[in-house]
Amino acid sequence: MVNPWKSGAIAVCAVLAAQTAAARDLTIAGWGGNYQDAQRAAYFQPFADAKGVKFTEATYLGGLAEVKTMADTGDATWDLVIVEGADLQVGCDEGLFEEIDWDSIPAKDQLVPEAIQPCGAGNVVIGTGLAYNSETVGEKPQNWQDFFNTQKWPGKRGMRAGPKYNLEFALIADGVSPDQVYEVLATPEGVERAFAKLDTIKKDIQFWEAGAQPIEWLAANNVVMTVSYNARISAAQKEGKPFVFVWTNPLYSIDAWAVPANAPNKDLAMEFIAFASTAEPQAKFSQLMPYGPTNTQVAGMLPPEVLANIPAGENVKDGFFFSDPFWTDNNDALSERWNNWVTR
Amino acid sequence: MSGTRHNLAAKATLLILPLVMYAALYLLPLISIGSLSVDNGELSDRFSRLSAHFGTDAPVDDAAAVALLADLQGMDSRDRAEAGRMFNQEKQGFRSLLIDTGKAAGDIPPTLDGLTAFDPRWGEPSWWEVLERNVEPVTWRHVQKATGIKPDGQGGFGIAPGDDIYLRILVRTFVIAGQVTLLTLLLGYPLAYAVANGTPRVRAVVLMAVLLSFWTSILVRTTAWVVLLQTNGLLNGLLIRLGIIAEPLQLIFNRFGTVVAMTHVLLPFAILPMMNVMRTIPAAQTDASRSLGAGPVETFLRVYFPQTLRGAAVGGGTVFILALGFYVTPALTGGPGDQMLSYYIADFVKKGLNWGMASVLSLMLLASVILMLLIGLLVRRLAGWRRQGV
Repeated sequence: MVNPWKSGAIAVCAVLAAQTAAARDLTIAGWGGNYQDAQRAAYFQPFADAKGVKFTEATYLGGLAEVKTMADTGDATWDLVIVEGADLQVGCDEGLFEEIDWDSIPAKDQLVPEAIQPCGAGNVVIGTGLAYNSETVGEKPQNWQDFFNTQKWPGKRGMRAGPKYNLEFALIADGVSPDQVYEVLATPEGVERAFAKLDTIKKDIQFWEAGAQPIEWLAANNVVMTVSYNARISAAQKEGKPFVFVWTNPLYSIDAWAVPANAPNKDLAMEFIAFASTAEPQAKFSQLMPYGPTNTQVAGMLPPEVLANIPAGENVKDGFFFSDPFWTDNNDALSERWNNWVTR
Repeated sequence: MSGTRHNLAAKATLLILPLVMYAALYLLPLISIGSLSVDNGELSDRFSRLSAHFGTDAPVDDAAAVALLADLQGMDSRDRAEAGRMFNQEKQGFRSLLIDTGKAAGDIPPTLDGLTAFDPRWGEPSWWEVLERNVEPVTWRHVQKATGIKPDGQGGFGIAPGDDIYLRILVRTFVIAGQVTLLTLLLGYPLAYAVANGTPRVRAVVLMAVLLSFWTSILVRTTAWVVLLQTNGLLNGLLIRLGIIAEPLQLIFNRFGTVVAMTHVLLPFAILPMMNVMRTIPAAQTDASRSLGAGPVETFLRVYFPQTLRGAAVGGGTVFILALGFYVTPALTGGPGDQMLSYYIADFVKKGLNWGMASVLSLMLLASVILMLLIGLLVRRLAGWRRQGV
């Protein structure tokens, strides 16, 4: 019992789109800002030059809406997209991404085990933590307790929109040890506890959607401190901004390259994934944008001042790994609770 | 003779063809998206046996277990994952339960005890209730979640505390749109008057300013307000330099910033209709009123102002309806408490992948606009009758 209206509308869209779909350039979607600038220099351009092909870029802001539409209409407008782990898992289970033939990827043995996924190649290790502007903050915040201390540090705090990350940080600020966070959060009491902690700073929270926003807010002194991605802070430091990223209990996660189902340049996209998994471009990327590599050979290729800023080794010894399985199961319920909390 | 008439009819058909096409192109996607709010074909097709089982009001028994396992075996793993995600919107943990059960469906003894032995959750009624509610071809789960109105278990309907979240956001959306409409009319009226009745130079300057902002991208104008209003922004800098305040004021990421930026973005939509109406009012009327002894205030209130109300109604109505659907401006200048319904619609489409909810929320917004228009029509009707009665 297929909905005739829906299939009609999809058919019309597909016919209109099919005319433009034929023989286009390799299309790569990334997270924008200096993250994507670094990817262009380290991956897109060298790969395109070596293969003698052209590429175009698109911007992606998370979620599976675009990829799901591509799968439903049969018109994949992207050939590659860099996604978060939880979206990769859901998309792979539902057939929204192509499966990766790992036997055809020579660098496979050099990758960390978490990078090898059925539909994705983990490429970038991202640290998420507390950051501030050392010129305007006054006394330096040290940890998540300080982030929730509005007495000592009055003013707005930047946080990522939605429950992900924020519930975790709230629990740590409330005294939960990082390796227990998801155990506690899996219980109703744990959820209550996280929201109760967030209540204490609720009127001071400002939410960001894109990773570039909190950087601008810190520079303009719109927020006193913020949750941010580590490399965005490092990139701002290189531009002379007096920003500091606090490596106390950071959260780290892996972004992976995936190929939307039925992408017209699928074979080329798979070759790109093989290239992006090798050590040399990953080392170049980490130098431009200090996120961590997934290729284990890279660490030896990086100068110490770069290693000091990436989510690896000493920096993540008291950190915790973002739980994709937890959020795949709990995102709907916790988002609903979150929206309800935000609007109250 | 009849040939000419035929020809005329053909011509008339040709003339309305664009209208028909427009209506079709406008209505088809609307209906298609709207149907997502109650359409549950994706689940009822996949769980046809279970749907048939519960259709006869049968209890959760071994037959239900047989139907569930047979349905799960009839799907490929992608369909199971998608179905699991949809059930997960109702009860957390359902996705992995369904995927795991589906993988092992062939090996599980087809009884309720067999299922419970595989995963004890199948022994709890709450998981079966989710299945029972959501395998019908039509579902009310999105409507219930959006309006908060649910069966209260005693045969009636009620809204549990906290479930009215989207109604509260709808009210907030209307309040913000109302505030913006009021402000655009108050600010726009004198400007429109200046364009319609000022000297040519005033007219040119004001009109240019209005049109320039009208032609500028909404994103640019919103970002400009962020630059003006932020903590170290131009306005706070000016106020501190003048010694009026010592500490910067919080002018952005709150309701104030949202309303200011939205008012500026929408101002031209209020000014242009009012200006056009004012231009059609002959200056001779004002002169006549003055020569008959009315003062300037009385002339304005009794002769000029009532004639401009039509423009204010068109301008205000346009601003109000446009403001209801605003997304970018509140997202950039508002705080968490200033996001409007469109923000949540986008959130459900992009992050939640829950298009049913997005569809219901859009329909809620559309229905409330239609309701407003009907009320407006009714008021005009009543006002018209009263005038005729006098």
